[in-house]
Amino acid sequence: MKKRAIAVLLAAAITGIMLGGCGNSSQSTGQTAGAAAGTESTETTTGQKTFTMFLRSTFVDWIEELKWYDEAEKRTGVHVEYVKGPDSQNDVYTEIDQRLISGTLTDCTFVKQAQANVYGAQGAFRDLAPLIREYAPNIQKYLDENPEYAALVTNEDGSIYGLMNETPTLAEFCFYRADHFKKAGVDPADIQTVDDFTEALRTLKAFYGKDNPNYYPLCGRERFFRFAAWFDCSSKISETESNGLYYGNVWGPKLGYDIYADNFYHMMETLKMWNDEGLVNPEWVAGSYSEGDWEAAMLNGDCSISSDFYTRPQWFLDNGGKDIDPDFEMAVLDNLKDENGNILKYQTDVLYNETRTTVINAKTSDETAKTIMEFIDYFWGEEGQTLCSWGVEGESYQVVDGKKEFIVDYATEEGKAAGEKKWSFLNDRYTVCKPVDEEAFYAWNGDVVKEAAARLFDEEHLQKAYNIKYTDAQAEEMDRLVAAIGDKIVAELTSFVTNKKELNEANWQSFLDEMTAAGYARAEEIQLEAFRATYGNK
Amino acid sequence: MYCGKGGTSVQGQKIKKKPLLERIKRDIRKNYLLYLMLVPGIIILILFKLGPMAGMVIAFEDFSAFKGVFGSKWVGLENFRKIFQDKYMLTLIKNTVTLAFLTIAVTFPFPILFTLFLNEVRISKIRNGVQTLSFLPYFISSAVMVSIIYTLCSPSYGLVNSIIKFFGGDPIYFMTEPGWFRPLYILLQVWQSFGYSSIIYLASILAIDPALYEAAEVDGANRWQKMFQITLPQISGSIIVMLIIKIGGIFSVDLDTILLMYNPSVYEVADVIQSYVYRMAFNSSGFPDYSYGTAVNMVKSIIAFAMVMLTNKIAKKYSETRLF
Repeated sequence: MKKRAIAVLLAAAITGIMLGGCGNSSQSTGQTAGAAAGTESTETTTGQKTFTMFLRSTFVDWIEELKWYDEAEKRTGVHVEYVKGPDSQNDVYTEIDQRLISGTLTDCTFVKQAQANVYGAQGAFRDLAPLIREYAPNIQKYLDENPEYAALVTNEDGSIYGLMNETPTLAEFCFYRADHFKKAGVDPADIQTVDDFTEALRTLKAFYGKDNPNYYPLCGRERFFRFAAWFDCSSKISETESNGLYYGNVWGPKLGYDIYADNFYHMMETLKMWNDEGLVNPEWVAGSYSEGDWEAAMLNGDCSISSDFYTRPQWFLDNGGKDIDPDFEMAVLDNLKDENGNILKYQTDVLYNETRTTVINAKTSDETAKTIMEFIDYFWGEEGQTLCSWGVEGESYQVVDGKKEFIVDYATEEGKAAGEKKWSFLNDRYTVCKPVDEEAFYAWNGDVVKEAAARLFDEEHLQKAYNIKYTDAQAEEMDRLVAAIGDKIVAELTSFVTNKKELNEANWQSFLDEMTAAGYARAEEIQLEAFRATYGNK
Repeated sequence: MYCGKGGTSVQGQKIKKKPLLERIKRDIRKNYLLYLMLVPGIIILILFKLGPMAGMVIAFEDFSAFKGVFGSKWVGLENFRKIFQDKYMLTLIKNTVTLAFLTIAVTFPFPILFTLFLNEVRISKIRNGVQTLSFLPYFISSAVMVSIIYTLCSPSYGLVNSIIKFFGGDPIYFMTEPGWFRPLYILLQVWQSFGYSSIIYLASILAIDPALYEAAEVDGANRWQKMFQITLPQISGSIIVMLIIKIGGIFSVDLDTILLMYNPSVYEVADVIQSYVYRMAFNSSGFPDYSYGTAVNMVKSIIAFAMVMLTNKIAKKYSETRLF
């Protein structure tokens, strides 16, 4: 009898525990389900209004370090309870879907523009248009003054389900070990064309490669095919034609070339020549060179030149360059020129980040929605812009002859340990949805980047990339095409450069025909239709 | 009185069976404690295994996470039509099936041979030590395993290429040669899983009646004969069950490992159904296409199920063992 009683109790206990675990467990990375929307905006003991926001964990960590952000919450009287999501951005969007399914989405979050459009129209997110009109005069002003932005965020019926983040003007830099150039006798001023550049690679290879079999003058991380600007075959779009692929941030600046362009074949010949002559790291060409490998090669002197994100030359200086080699110096190369002396322009990132669209949960109360709009609007006004771009006068910046300048040191502040409060104005990182003060953004950088940005980030040196708004059907078709041909293109180009496939006119034409049949030309058509719909037949 | 199959007594007289419901009721009354202990397991099975399968209905919908399963638009077989119209699908199927078959062909017999030989080691400390060491890679993540392979195979500083260069050869770009992708992937699979599988076979070997070996010794059998005439046939049941399970997962290649080893140079052999669906559903710039991803997985599951049934039938025909 005793055994039976124990058995019954055990079975009941196991069932109970198991069913207990089936409850609503929407928590993510240690946050409670209480963060979900649907409740009235509450006030903290200090009288601050609050709302909840689900964000990528890295962004929350960054926000918590910012001194200007603390000041912003103090001045607005609003406290945001951030709910940490996963670290990977793609996982964040997946979790937002899960939170929508389980009804545990926070008051506010950021999503992809495509998610904002689809879920917004289905009723998941609030229409921000009336809220902006009523509570956000600064955002309304921005919409009125920037019709391109207004067109991107406004649906056909006039509703606005999300606000995209503005990004600074960003493009790649081609940077080099200035100490290597000096020692090998290469004068950067002599590098005007691609041929000059090739000669510089040869000189460096002869100088450093004779004693170091692992030395390749040119190396990099991730994609190798990033020199389209030097051959005038970056992707381009206008109201009349669409050349190359622009789709999303991945297809625009990240792939950013037009395989049908006249000069593309010439680019392939040059890249192949670099690889054949050992001027470029073959592992990078083949696609197996990791970020760590690249960093080590630049720091250890196994490589002299690279092309990458604009902050990277400074990164090498700040991360051991001088410790490893006291002569270590980095500098940024001027844009190359074509045979007629015209500057070859780098393609920028798109102006608005389509993967960071701020939305408000439809379940959020009117009062909380008002709080959110007023909080965001603060950063679109003069005071908020100054605070998030320059900080507090007398503490982080001063005004000299009517011009603002930082009084805190970039290297000291950015060098502080993770978690420590600091002045930081890296506005390419997500903090709140707001426009960017470019002057402040570039002023808040190391000397190498500051100088190069002032020299090269202007209309003379950059080709603008466009945000394009797609319908749901267009986006679905583009996704399918991208998934099918995106990697295929890179793989085929790689096989030509690495000599797995002979680079000749016949094989090249066959590759182009294959891509056309696989949907490349169709993707260009869709882009053109979407561009015209977004911007009109200008 | 013993009743054989079909409810016939030894005297050949038919005994009328009671209705099933009544028999079940009687059995529950008789063994209610056992049934009670079964309840949590049944609930888990229903809630977490059978229940979620209903979610596969989204393969027939244009699924929206906000509208949910019941609110999303019904599109019938549209997603399946897209799969069969997708020109790229044939290449993906070819890559997936080739990789899966090669993986089974190598990873399946390897632990069997390993176990047979390990069982012959007389010194138990060595046997246990080798078994433990072989099991350790099972606990190492794919990311670490792939990093180790990258480091070992690096053309500039990797151990393998250093040896090749020492003997006067040219370095091989293992990680970017399409021809090396499958062997390296399979090597990782063997490395990671053979210790785990060998434990199952070793457990079967321990259950073999020692009298069989004693009788064989009396008959003059040597160690090879005992290994292949006694041990192997005695564990054939486990081998067949493991084979059927492996066949069931034939389309489930290790996506983590593939994504970690993936680069443009090996794309032609490394792009498989899962990596394509991943790009479509989770890595797209636009709206995630959960419905299409589910439809692809459903097709995969149906084919895998058919193959399991076929293997089970073949096993039933040619041996006394089967899974169900």
